[in-house]
Amino acid sequence: MGATIAEKILGAHAGGAPARAGDIVVAGVDFAMLHDARASNALRRIEQLGAKKLPFASRTAFVLDHYSPPPHAEAANIHREMRAFADAHGTVLYDVGDGICHQVLPEGGHLTCGDLVVGTDTHSTTYGAFNAFGTGVEGTDLSAVMMTGKLWFRVPETIRVDLKGRLQPGVWAKDVTLHMLGRLGAEGANYKAIEYAGPAVRAMDMDDRMTLANHAAELGAKAALLEGDEKTFAWLKARGARDPRPVKADADARYGQRIEVDAAKLPPQVARKHKIDDVVGVPEVRGLRVNYALIGTCTNGRLDDIRQAAAILKGKRIAKGVRMIVTPASRNVYLQAAREGLIEILTQAGASFEAAGCGTCVNITGHLITGDGDVVITSANRNFKGRLGNPDSEIYVGSSATVAASALAGSITDPREVMGGDWRPVSKAA
Amino acid sequence: MSALIKGRAHLLGDDVNTDLHCSSKYHPGRDNAYVAQHAFEQLAPGFAARFGKRGVIVAGRNFGNNSSREQAVHILRMMGVGGIVAASFGRQFYRNCINNGLTAVECDVAGVADGDEIEIDPAAGRVAVRARGIVREVPPLPEAALAIVAAGGLIPFLKAHPDWKIPVTTEG
Ligand code: SF4
Repeated sequence: MGATIAEKILGAHAGGAPARAGDIVVAGVDFAMLHDARASNALRRIEQLGAKKLPFASRTAFVLDHYSPPPHAEAANIHREMRAFADAHGTVLYDVGDGICHQVLPEGGHLTCGDLVVGTDTHSTTYGAFNAFGTGVEGTDLSAVMMTGKLWFRVPETIRVDLKGRLQPGVWAKDVTLHMLGRLGAEGANYKAIEYAGPAVRAMDMDDRMTLANHAAELGAKAALLEGDEKTFAWLKARGARDPRPVKADADARYGQRIEVDAAKLPPQVARKHKIDDVVGVPEVRGLRVNYALIGTCTNGRLDDIRQAAAILKGKRIAKGVRMIVTPASRNVYLQAAREGLIEILTQAGASFEAAGCGTCVNITGHLITGDGDVVITSANRNFKGRLGNPDSEIYVGSSATVAASALAGSITDPREVMGGDWRPVSKAA
Repeated sequence: MSALIKGRAHLLGDDVNTDLHCSSKYHPGRDNAYVAQHAFEQLAPGFAARFGKRGVIVAGRNFGNNSSREQAVHILRMMGVGGIVAASFGRQFYRNCINNGLTAVECDVAGVADGDEIEIDPAAGRVAVRARGIVREVPPLPEAALAIVAAGGLIPFLKAHPDWKIPVTTEG
C-alpha cells in the first residue's frame, strides 16, 4: 500500500518506513520557529523545562513580526527578552521590519524539500509550498524541540486536491483557496493534510504556491503539501537552502478524500463579510462600495501581489474616498519592489506602504483600525467580525488583483475587466 | 497511571471556542484564576461554580476550535477538569490538552445528560455512562499520548524521559 507525502515525511523523520494516518510518532524536527505573539508562553515553558542545554536553539528562528512595530511597552519588552535569549543561545533572530515568519523562514534558506518544520503559528503550513511538512505548535512543543530536537505528531489523513487545466489570467492561488473554503467550509480539513497537485499547481510560481499552502490553514489543515520541482529547487538554491530531498506521494496512496477542481473555469472569488467560507464569485458582489483596501499578510503580501497591484494601478489613482495600505511580507520583498519601481507606482496611485510584518492582518499594532461602517477589501486570510479592531466595519477577502481593481473603482471589481488585471509572472521553468 | 477517569458530566454544545469563553480575551486584565471561576459563563451560567473536582466536560463538535493558545488548557486544569469528551476537537487545542496532561477523547456524546456519572478509559478506548447503559468504543489513546498525559504533560514527561523513550505505535 502506497503512502502520502505526509506519511512519508513523518515516517522518515521518525527513523523508518512511511507512517500511517492515525499513528502517533516521535519525529526529529529540521527547523523550528517562534514568533513574538507566542513568545512569552514559550519562554516560560522553556524555563520550566529547566534544560541545561538547548542543542536545537541554533536551528530555531525567533521572529519579531506581529508586534511590528511594538504598540506598547509590554510588546517592546517581549522583543527585548527574545533578543537577549537569541543572543545567549545562538538562536536565529529576525528583528522588527525583517518580515513575517512564514516569509523570512523560506527566504532565509532555513528549510528544504522533505523537511519537517514546526512553528508557533497556524500558518506554518506555508512551508508545504517547498515540499516540507510544516505545522503549527505551541510553546510547550517548542520547548521540547529546543531541548531534544524531537516532537510527537499524530500522522494526518490526507485530502488530495487535483487542479486540472490552467488558471485564467487574473485568477490566482488565492481564488483557488477561497473556492475550496466555499466548498469544504472553514475547518473542512481539520486534523488533515492537503496535497495540492495537477497542471495548474505546476504552472504556478513559488509566490502563488506559498499562498496555496499558507491559506490551507483557514481550511483547518495541519499541513498542506506540494511536490517539489525545478522551480522549487532553483528557488531554494538561490537562497542557500540545504539540498532538497523531494518526496512524492505513491500512485496508490490512501486518501481520505479526493477532489478535482477545474482551474480554467474558476472566476476570481471573494469571501463576504465576517465569514471566510461565505464565498462567491466576484461577479456576484461586483459594484459593492469599498473604502479601505489592504494588501499584505503572510498569505498575500509577496512580490507577485505587489506586482499585480502595480500592473493595475500604474499611471492611475485609486478612487476618491478610498484609503489603501500595502505591507510587504518581508524586507526582501520590499527591497525588490523598490528595485522594480513598484513602490513609486503604488505611492503615486495613492497607496501607502507600512513596514514589513503582520500589520495589515489583524488589529495588533493598533494603527490600521477601521471606522464605523467602513467596508474593507483585503488580501488577508481572515475576516471575522472586528478583526481590524472595529466590529462595526465589514471585511471582504479577495486576491491582491481584486483588491487593487476594487481600490481603483471604489467598489468590488473583477480584475479581468481592468487594464493590467490579467498580469502574470513570466516563469522560466514550465 | 493513565487510570480510569470518573466524574460528573457537564454539557456544552457545538463549536465552543475556548479562546472566547475561557481566556483572558473574554476578561481582559484578569488572571487565570479569575477566568477559571467564570469559564463558559455566557454559554452556561454558573458553569464553573457547579463544576466539581474531576468533573468531565462533555461537548459537541469542534470543541476548542481556533483556540490554539495553551492558556485555555491551563485554565481548564485550574477549574479541576478531569477529562473532556467531545464529538470532535480543534487540532491545536487537542494537542495542547495532551501536552498539558489533560485527557481528551473524541466520542459520540448523544444521550449523555448534564450531571450523568461518566467514565473515560483512555487506554482501553471506552467511554461509558453506566446508569444509561451507554458504553461506546473509541480509538484508544496511543501509548505515546498516554505516557505524556500520565506524566502530567510534556514538560514533566521530558524531565523524566529526556530521551523520549516511549512505546511508539507503528501500525494504525
Ligand atoms: S500575517 Fe496574519 S495570519 Fe500571518 S502570521 Fe501574521 S498575524 Fe498571523
